[in-house]
Amino acid sequence: MGNFFPRWTNWLPLKVGIAVVFIALGVSIGVAYYFTPKYTRVGYEPTQPVPFSHKIHAGQLGLDCRICHSFGEASGHSNVPTNQTCFNCHGQGKGGIRAASPKLELVQKAHQTGQSIPWVKVHKAPDYVYFNHSAHVNRGVSCVSCHGKVNEMEVVRHDQPQSMGWCLDCHRNPEKNLRPLDHITNLNFKPSDLKRADFYKGLLDKKVPSGEIAEVIGGKGAKADDLDALVNLAEKTFGKEVTQKEVGTQLKKHWQIQPPENCTACHR
Amino acid sequence: MKRNWIHPEEPQNAKRYWRSTAELERRESFLKNLGREFPAGDTLTPEEAENGRRDFLKIMGASVGLMGLASCRRPITTILPYTQHVEWMVPGKPVLFATTMPRCGGATPLVVTVHEGRPTHLSGNPLHPLGGGIDSFAQASVLDLYDPDRSQKPLGAGKAISWAKANELIAAAAADAKKSSGAGLGIVVGATTSPTYLRLLGEIKTAFPQAKLYGYEAVGGDAQAVNKEVLGAGVKPFVKFSKAMRILALDCDFLGVDPVAGEPIKEFTKHRAKETKAAENDMNRLYVLENRYTLTGGMADHRKAIPAALIPAAAALIAEQLGDASGKALAASAPQALKDWIAPAVRDLIDNKGTAVVLAGSRCSAEVHALVASINNALGAYGSAIDLLQEAPKPDMGDFAALQADVSGGQLKTLVSLTPASLFYDAPDAAAFAKLITEKGVKLVHVGSLLNSTALHAAVHIPAAHYLEAWGDVRAADGSYSIVQPMIAPLYDGASENDVLLALLGRKKLGPAEKPADGAAPAEDAGYTAVRDTFAQVAGGLDESKWNFTLRDGFLKGSAYARANASVNAAAAGTIVSKAKAGASPSDEAIEVVLVPSSGVYDGRYINNAWLQEAPDPITKLTWENAAWVGSATFKRLGLEDGQHIAIRANGVEIEIPAIEAPGHVSNSITIPLGYGQNNVGTVGGEKGVNGYVMRRLPGQFVISGAKVEVLGTVAELAITQTQNTMEGRAVYREGTLETFNKDTEFAQKTGMDSHIPENISFYKGQVGKKDTENPDGFDYETKHQWGMSIDLSKCIGCTACIVACQSENNIPVVGKNQVRKGRLMQWIRMDRYFAVAKTGINNVAQESTWAEDNPTPEQLENAEMVHQPLACQQCEAAPCETVCPVNATVHTDDGLNAMAYNRCIGTRYCANNCPYTARRFNWFDYNKRNPLVETEKLGIKANNLYFGPLGEKREDESIRLQRNPNVTVRMRGVMEKCTYCVQRLESAKILQKQVQRDSKNFRVPTDSVKTACQQSCPADAIVFGDLADAKSSVNIAKASPRNYQVLKYIGTRPRTSYLARLRNPNKNMPGAENIAVWSNNQY
Repeated sequence: MGNFFPRWTNWLPLKVGIAVVFIALGVSIGVAYYFTPKYTRVGYEPTQPVPFSHKIHAGQLGLDCRICHSFGEASGHSNVPTNQTCFNCHGQGKGGIRAASPKLELVQKAHQTGQSIPWVKVHKAPDYVYFNHSAHVNRGVSCVSCHGKVNEMEVVRHDQPQSMGWCLDCHRNPEKNLRPLDHITNLNFKPSDLKRADFYKGLLDKKVPSGEIAEVIGGKGAKADDLDALVNLAEKTFGKEVTQKEVGTQLKKHWQIQPPENCTACHR
Repeated sequence: MKRNWIHPEEPQNAKRYWRSTAELERRESFLKNLGREFPAGDTLTPEEAENGRRDFLKIMGASVGLMGLASCRRPITTILPYTQHVEWMVPGKPVLFATTMPRCGGATPLVVTVHEGRPTHLSGNPLHPLGGGIDSFAQASVLDLYDPDRSQKPLGAGKAISWAKANELIAAAAADAKKSSGAGLGIVVGATTSPTYLRLLGEIKTAFPQAKLYGYEAVGGDAQAVNKEVLGAGVKPFVKFSKAMRILALDCDFLGVDPVAGEPIKEFTKHRAKETKAAENDMNRLYVLENRYTLTGGMADHRKAIPAALIPAAAALIAEQLGDASGKALAASAPQALKDWIAPAVRDLIDNKGTAVVLAGSRCSAEVHALVASINNALGAYGSAIDLLQEAPKPDMGDFAALQADVSGGQLKTLVSLTPASLFYDAPDAAAFAKLITEKGVKLVHVGSLLNSTALHAAVHIPAAHYLEAWGDVRAADGSYSIVQPMIAPLYDGASENDVLLALLGRKKLGPAEKPADGAAPAEDAGYTAVRDTFAQVAGGLDESKWNFTLRDGFLKGSAYARANASVNAAAAGTIVSKAKAGASPSDEAIEVVLVPSSGVYDGRYINNAWLQEAPDPITKLTWENAAWVGSATFKRLGLEDGQHIAIRANGVEIEIPAIEAPGHVSNSITIPLGYGQNNVGTVGGEKGVNGYVMRRLPGQFVISGAKVEVLGTVAELAITQTQNTMEGRAVYREGTLETFNKDTEFAQKTGMDSHIPENISFYKGQVGKKDTENPDGFDYETKHQWGMSIDLSKCIGCTACIVACQSENNIPVVGKNQVRKGRLMQWIRMDRYFAVAKTGINNVAQESTWAEDNPTPEQLENAEMVHQPLACQQCEAAPCETVCPVNATVHTDDGLNAMAYNRCIGTRYCANNCPYTARRFNWFDYNKRNPLVETEKLGIKANNLYFGPLGEKREDESIRLQRNPNVTVRMRGVMEKCTYCVQRLESAKILQKQVQRDSKNFRVPTDSVKTACQQSCPADAIVFGDLADAKSSVNIAKASPRNYQVLKYIGTRPRTSYLARLRNPNKNMPGAENIAVWSNNQY
């Protein structure tokens, strides 16, 4: 019997095996990265029909998000403003600001014809997801947590993956994203901007017992009788500056933030 | 964990609850289908079986090929905001408006849910004096608005014409009539109580003095004419169910399709539920005499099936016993059994003078109404349990006979038909009438929303506006001035009746509103102005704030009719009665035919409403068509089987119609539900059922005697839902008499296996607010709601309003007749209907003996009791469905719901298999995307559209989509679905509470503030829903009742929905009282 197979074939199974391992590894890494919203969605930056600049309006001029997206606190949808909203400032006979600008041509036309401006949707939750803006912005989750720093974007881009896993991350650990309600639309907010004494005073004013606040700061057994003691305790625990963890844990506990993890919370 | 369910053995000595006689008698036809929950492949029709594997591969191959065409790129979607802001509009939030649905002779007060300008769901208006739940017709009427087959363009002799042309024709007719000061102009109107409509009719009479008005409703009666003579002009009896403790109904289905002017049904059912021991007089008692089962008959404490021809005799008998001998001749014809039944019943009425009422059905003949007026007078009902109200004066109108005479006399040139009835379809001898109209050259102007035979054959047809599209007003049964306000601009530019009258008066142009010249404000709609003018008259001046309050509340406060100063004119009543001839009992040779409005399409006006067509008839459980109801005895005598065609000959007409066995139906009598058998009306209603109207010769002729019946060989496969989803009878339904209840208030909890099992302890009970090492956060259960439901069977009347409400709220698709036959009905709520007999067989053996001995006698079947039980997902705490789902698509939430994540479901159907309540529904096809009602032909194969999958025709009726609730996923093929206690409402209530509380702490939804759709629609207030963790909630109060029981408790599923056992209040002196609502420890 001759040798049917040449010598090099002896190593073939091993080589194939190694190749398969590498290919499998490559494919799984590839799928894990490229097939997720982190890759497919983040960075989506479609050109809008009107070159509206959030950077100018929300950043430079410091307009509050709610001036245009007026129903985010009242409704599940945070509405895209009506043409009338644009016209309040830019309309002739109204604010008249740069009314003749060619960039506003479509807005002018929409006003005359009554035909809506077809804004391109950037953030799109699937049909079976019932996301509710009001449930979030009324409870300490800022716009910036999901939409990024829109006030620095010339054209709005998809900033966060907004995948189910990403949602659940926050629903499981909401303290990472909670902030006092008067900073909800402050996209530049940093916890260190808060004055510690004011923050704790706010909680005490809401009739939260100082003992409970102290326990959240220092764990079981920690005690503080008044505002000064609380501030001292917090300084000892978290350092000089107010941290997100400090704010988040307090708000989670005292506002009873228990984000639902039931299917029905988002799927109906 | 493997669970072994030890079901009780079928008890051999037990009371039987059965769904069809076939089941009771264990017929082969029943046993064959028993236990097939999804009889899918089993029931392929021969054609479908032939289109087997090869065709399947052909189609699938093509669809795989097409798949590649779908692009992978993310599609660009746009957001189109309003250009001008709309008042009250918050995108994503529904706005609620109060309005009223005009009904024949009354009104249903409504609250409309409007999503971004689209009315999607209706519910009762709780502010209105007659508010409360609504019936299935009102509930389903929102679908009519979006009906793609609605009449959309004016027609001239069947051909589409422009609005301009239609306006021209109407103007010409008006000008023509004007010349002869109205001579030759006739207007047919339906039963209406709209002040504006009546005012405009009056103005027509002023503008055209010679014009004639006629009143015509397809299913009308003589009641009004009789009331006018006996009680006085414009006097209207208004029944106060809250005061009526003894009610005797003569062929009056006041809980079903024949409502009487009176307080809402919930006032009646309030007196049916008892939670503690009660005296016989504290609970109301209902006696019913009728030829067939109706919902009212099912609620009755005593019911006797008698031929409809004997109803006058029964009325005369009652009157005689109360001292009015005017009907002596009529009473003489009554058989002895009826006399024996009536005597103790009337005794009971007399004993309860002042709170006793006798009601006559609207289709009853004149003498019955006259006798009933005299009876109620003798019982002292007027002024106590019945209010006599003084209606506003109405213009004089002729009846149908006058119309017929005027047409044949050549006195009419133009006839405007505003009635919702269809003259060429439902008028007595409609074909001859249609011919007469053509022969005499009468120009018929028809206004209607359906393209029915009248629309197609009229000289001019004007598409009618839906009541959600136009301004109007109407007086509710008590006279409350209620507003009809438009929720949406007319989808097809339709015109309301008021608009047409205004057009005749030359004050309005029909059709699309004219665009105002640049900058000018749009001209005020004449229909709107007309209503405002009427309002000013009614309210005594046009006070803007009063008007706005009326719009907000839906009605004008304090506008009810005043009480009439009226008394019964005995002489007039006597004259009417003396004219009557005694009806003869039907015999084998001379069968009686009874025409009744159907629970699906009423008199035919709802023929194109798919929800109503598919909601099973509460009595026969038949969908999508009508059939002749034949009593069991006659059914057996004729040797029929369900669906077998019979030919009925009467009045010189013959119709062929499938027969259906109806327990509780009197022998030798056949009931035909009306309204079906209309052709060309659209894909939903066209070619469905048989037209029963052809049998009558006179408008009031609803009972036709002397019919001959011939059995034909052909058998139609009826789409009956009664034998689907069987529950194997394990003490599922529990009832007893008030006496049983007084002896042992907890009888329901000791029925069947329940007396032998330990108490089921709720997973959540006792956990609430408990802080310990196991539950260190403590607040978990304090803040979480625990939802639960209680259904009171004492109150449930078995109408199908909840089914339709659920369909409307939860985007449940319609599947069509074929699919219903296969048991693929999608409705989440199933209304189970059981019959029951206490004693069976010729030996009349009592329930506690062996049951299989012999078959029930005809009398026993005729007197079988009927009960209803609505059943949806029970939200088991230990849900068997959850443990078998391989993908966690159905899981429990921490507020106790058995949730469905539709997007996760892969359609294994394991859950449905494991559900002991068969409460789950599976989307076998893309019912929402593909029209299930049409046939398609592809690749040479002709079959139902659904079977072509992606190649099938997509729904053309895009307008239906506008009705969808945006808060509920529209499920696709291959997904399991079921009731989730309207989770979208629960979640929005919780979120609303968070919006309000923000950084505070109280997140419990206010007590009883959230309602499920079924609960909201229930006219009987039988459904109570709420938070079990809230001690004050009414669901906790309801569940504390001793009548509370859980269905299939012994298997330990711990359902969150529980039932309250039914009570009946039989009169011991009545014949057969001992057999009524007999409670039996065992049931089968």
